[in-house]
Amino acid sequence: MDDPKTLDLVKELLQRLISTSRHHTSSAAPPLPPSDLAKSLKYAHRVLSSRMSPSISIDEAAMAESIKRSLARQHRPSDALAFADLYSKLVSLTSSLSSSVSVPPRNRWSFLYLVKCLSNSSSQTPRIFSAGALLPSLPILESSSYSGRSSGGVKKGLGAGGVFTVSKDPENMREIALIEHSDLVSTETTVSESVLVRDVLYVAQGIDGSYVKYDVKINGYDLPPDSGSFKVPRATRTMVRRLCELGWLFRMVKDYVSECTERFPTDEVGTVGQAFCAALQDELTEYYKLLAVLESQTSVPIPKGGRDGKAGNYLSLMRLSIWFAEPIVKMRLMALLVDGCRSLRGGALAGAIHGYAQYGDPLVQEFMSRLLRRVCSPLFEIVRTWVLEGELEDVFGELFIIGQPVKAESLWREGYRIQSSMLPSFISEKLAQRILRTGKSINFLRVCCEDNGWADAATEAAAHVGATTRKGGLGYVETDALEAMAVEAAKRIDKHLMEVMYQRYRFKDHCYAIKQYLLLGQGDFVQYLMDIVGPELSQPANTISSFQLAGLLETAIRASNAQYDDRDILDRLHVKMMEHEDGDQGWDVFSLEYNTHVPLDTVFTASVMKRYFRIFNFLWKLKRVEHALIRVWKTMKPNRIISHIFGNDSATMKFQFISVLRRCQVLWNEMNHFIRNFQDYIMFEVLEISWACFLEEMDASKDLDDLLAAHEKYLSSIALKSLLGERSHGIFKTLFLLFDLILRFQSNTDRWFENIYELQPRGNSKFKKSERLKLGSQVYGGGKALMQIAGDILRKMGEDLDSISKEYSSSLKVFISQLPLQHHVDLKFLLFRLNFTEYYSRFPPGKY
Amino acid sequence: MPREIITIQVGQCGNQIGMEFWKQLCLEHGIGKDGLLEDFATTQGGDRKDVFFYQADDQHYIPRALLMDLEPRVINGIQNSEYRNLYNHENIYVSEHGGGAGNNWASGYHQGEQVVDDIMEMVDREADGSDSLEGFVLCHSIAGGTGSGMGSYLLETLNDRYSKKLIQTYSVFPNQVESSDVVVQPYNSLLTLKRLTLNADCVVVLDNTALNRIAVDRLHIPNPTFAQTNSLVSTVMSASTTTLRYPGYMNNDLVGLLASLIPTPRCHFLMTGYTPLTVERQVNVIRKTTVLDVMRRLLQTKNIMVSSYARTKEASKAKYISILNIIQGEVDPTQVHESLQRIRERKLVNFIDWGPASIQVALSRKSPYVQTAHRVSGLMLANHTSIRHLFSKCLSQYEKLRKKQAFLDNYRKFPMFADNDLSEFDESREIIENLVDEYKACESPDYIKWGMEDPDSNLTGEGSASGLLALKD
Repeated sequence: MDDPKTLDLVKELLQRLISTSRHHTSSAAPPLPPSDLAKSLKYAHRVLSSRMSPSISIDEAAMAESIKRSLARQHRPSDALAFADLYSKLVSLTSSLSSSVSVPPRNRWSFLYLVKCLSNSSSQTPRIFSAGALLPSLPILESSSYSGRSSGGVKKGLGAGGVFTVSKDPENMREIALIEHSDLVSTETTVSESVLVRDVLYVAQGIDGSYVKYDVKINGYDLPPDSGSFKVPRATRTMVRRLCELGWLFRMVKDYVSECTERFPTDEVGTVGQAFCAALQDELTEYYKLLAVLESQTSVPIPKGGRDGKAGNYLSLMRLSIWFAEPIVKMRLMALLVDGCRSLRGGALAGAIHGYAQYGDPLVQEFMSRLLRRVCSPLFEIVRTWVLEGELEDVFGELFIIGQPVKAESLWREGYRIQSSMLPSFISEKLAQRILRTGKSINFLRVCCEDNGWADAATEAAAHVGATTRKGGLGYVETDALEAMAVEAAKRIDKHLMEVMYQRYRFKDHCYAIKQYLLLGQGDFVQYLMDIVGPELSQPANTISSFQLAGLLETAIRASNAQYDDRDILDRLHVKMMEHEDGDQGWDVFSLEYNTHVPLDTVFTASVMKRYFRIFNFLWKLKRVEHALIRVWKTMKPNRIISHIFGNDSATMKFQFISVLRRCQVLWNEMNHFIRNFQDYIMFEVLEISWACFLEEMDASKDLDDLLAAHEKYLSSIALKSLLGERSHGIFKTLFLLFDLILRFQSNTDRWFENIYELQPRGNSKFKKSERLKLGSQVYGGGKALMQIAGDILRKMGEDLDSISKEYSSSLKVFISQLPLQHHVDLKFLLFRLNFTEYYSRFPPGKY
Repeated sequence: MPREIITIQVGQCGNQIGMEFWKQLCLEHGIGKDGLLEDFATTQGGDRKDVFFYQADDQHYIPRALLMDLEPRVINGIQNSEYRNLYNHENIYVSEHGGGAGNNWASGYHQGEQVVDDIMEMVDREADGSDSLEGFVLCHSIAGGTGSGMGSYLLETLNDRYSKKLIQTYSVFPNQVESSDVVVQPYNSLLTLKRLTLNADCVVVLDNTALNRIAVDRLHIPNPTFAQTNSLVSTVMSASTTTLRYPGYMNNDLVGLLASLIPTPRCHFLMTGYTPLTVERQVNVIRKTTVLDVMRRLLQTKNIMVSSYARTKEASKAKYISILNIIQGEVDPTQVHESLQRIRERKLVNFIDWGPASIQVALSRKSPYVQTAHRVSGLMLANHTSIRHLFSKCLSQYEKLRKKQAFLDNYRKFPMFADNDLSEFDESREIIENLVDEYKACESPDYIKWGMEDPDSNLTGEGSASGLLALKD
């Protein structure tokens, strides 16, 4: 640096730089004031002697790579390629020159670093240039001195003395080989390579060249066959063909894009398709740029140095094949996509593209993800509005969720569903379900619950997941963000929905009301209803007026604790007469109905209510049988006169009576035992336990689906355990046989005891003791005929009793033997209760 | 149609336990001493008050209770107590002369006969005031004069007039261990027992001997007062009616409750057990109460309110005809099944052989207004054959007295026993003997055939003035 020669050089350089810069910045070039010059010189000295070194390690290859990468990152692959080419030339030249001119490798690195800094700074604000007056002139220097000679210019700038020399170097074997090769080619071809290169470049844009043309027959570009005037060597031909693949692919992509653009907006394309086209179009634009660069270079000859006259063009087919290597990969991919996705649309299209993106090559991967980001954004936008606003802005049916107009009650179950063909594979089934449910919840709230509170929940959810959920902010790579958004939105909206269901629509209260009325939990009400509608229901079904029953229902409500229930709940309770056939009794068709409105009818759908009816009918029948048995007990209760009748009549008669009566009582006891324990079982093991489970699950339910599932479980567990399941058909029949026997027993006992009571007034009445004693003989005297009647009655009663008893015990035996075969484990509790004293296992079969 | 139950309390003991019962009911339903709802009880608590109460025009709750006595002392006590405004004054009958029945069954019965119109008018009025009368509950003692004698007459009359209605009694049996101040108690008991056998549908036997024992042993009260033993009775009475007062899926009416307990009409005497027992204001040791604990304790004789006079050999043969456990409190329904299983595994109960049987369990809510130290409490109503030993004891005491012909003069003064006609005694004895026999027969698997091939009865056969089965009047 202290070398005076160097100082002079610096001074000269400075003068030159300044003058050029001044020359450029202003048309007139006034001489630079010496003070400025001195200042600049001083500054230059300071800069030069400062030994500033960038804070990065000196690695030439890495620097070159980073420049290349940054170019590629800016989507300038053609520039990147150009740079790579230039760089390799530079390396080879400097190394060959190193013997004559000393160019330490360090300088090469510095140069690269400078270039990189400049490119960076040019893209940023020109802050660096304002710092010193000298520096801005540098790019100007470059651009002015090398215009039109880009390839050689670099070398010139490099030369330490600023001299452009290319020595004829015998070591430059590659150069020589290339020249020899081109010589060889030119001798064999009648068509010059440059023409072919031009043709190939045309073809690459889908335009027929002068020789290379599209051949419909082979569906591809080809050279015409050799002829006298047209001769192309085989190797060239092959190469041309190979290069023309790009054109063929390009045509395909281009056709697709233009086709789609034409057809839009139609269903077949959709927004996703459109986005796909746009992305393709952008890729093509990049491609065009590359082609433009290449085309501009066709005319640039390769500097041949010493070999005169024979200078070939820079672009040869060989070079083209290298240049085309990357575009062809991309074009192939695009063509593949275009071909594979031609018939697809919407989510399916995105999914298909995603399928191609599963590729190890980082180039392909990067390209695909860029593409996918574009393709998916409309899809994700639809998802976003769906999840946060519940709007299905899916004009072309591209989303994996499809809606259909349904009645409010079935909105939840049928209104929306997942269309798996449109479900892209990068969205998991679970996530899709969640997305579906979230939007569905919003719609459910809006349509069925007439609730607007969900909007707050959605906003809150959006705020929680943050900026990524802004309009258009979601892309392919952000499936995590999408999921997070769906989860957050689902959490809040479901919570809100549950609150609305529980608090505003009092879901729990309605379930409880159904348990109390349809499942007979409100015992006093049920009992009273049974008392007052019983006589009505014994009539043939077609003679019963449901208006009258409705009145009776109201009476039952008023007379029982049901009266304290919410009026809203009670108003939903109605009598329902099922369809009846001839011969049906009122008992067969009577049912209670609980009306639910939107949105509760989503849970209590018609089919669910039908199942409730079945359970109701069963429980009602059981109650009726229980009722009947109690009635029998009342007719022969301890202090009824029949217990003491025939007291002092003939012993045979008395024993006959006692015998019949006791058999009647024992049979009653057995029937009662069965019914009571069945009822106990129904209450403890079926209704209460299922209800307790249901309550627990209800509290744990996070969304409506959970709630529906919990309710479904509740209902089906009751049905199963009450022997109403599909598989319990056989045993259920036996059970009803038993019920019918008990009812027959009841009507028979009614008749028997009526007959016996008819004997009563004659045999007994309230007398004073003294009178009774006197009367005793009278009864005896006139009692012969009476005894006869009584004997007949008792005999008949005994016979009837025997037949019922026999049928009953055989049916019961069947029932008990069928019970262990049932599938539900809880049914063993029933057996346990029925056989608590092991009464039924103690006696050998046939005893009863 | 609330299935109303009219309570009739007769005599000193009957009125005392009745009063305790109403006190307890008022507490449980949040009804104040004047019949008005307490402030804390104005919201519906899921209870059904109209079974035992009706509302007057001014919203007062009035017990469906009839108070009767032949001497004014106890009823005056009630009328001077803080509960004086609770009862309907028209429902109180005190004999005009106020002389009582002098512990004489015959006197009570006769006086009842004399005033039957007055009494029945009260009963009819009460019955007419209800929509669907379920039945009557009679509280009385069987040892004294009024409760036993007048109660007996009332039973006969009610049975005749309301034959389709249920008649349940809470009958206090005298203390047969200590010597009683009522020497004719065996006579009174026997005569009353006949009516209980023939004219009642269900008799809940409350044995003073056992009540005293429980008070001494279980509650550690050295000399229990009547008030204390009565509070035990009222606890039992209120507990046995909880399922009626707090409606649920099952056991919403008295008849349903009793029918399963009484499969054969004659055996309708029920024992009770209650756990955990406390007497008012007594701080008891708090024990763990699970359903199993409660159900197991209920099966222990020491908790049963009827003394068993059975000898060991006989006791081992004794069998339960039926059991109903009413469990009150917060109970997980699954525990019921587990408890039943445990009880069966341990063979803690011995049931009849001639038919299926099981322990019925009724779950009932606890009153939200009464704080108890126990999470779960339980009442057992059981039909057990060992009760026959109680009747045997009554019989043997009667025989002792009768043999001596002691104190019969007091009875001869009254029409039923006029002209030295003591057939009523004999008839009653027969009936009770028969009852004892029937209970005994229930212990055998051949109960179904019992009483039909009895050679003795064949001998007495036709024309016998007093048949094996008594003639009802």
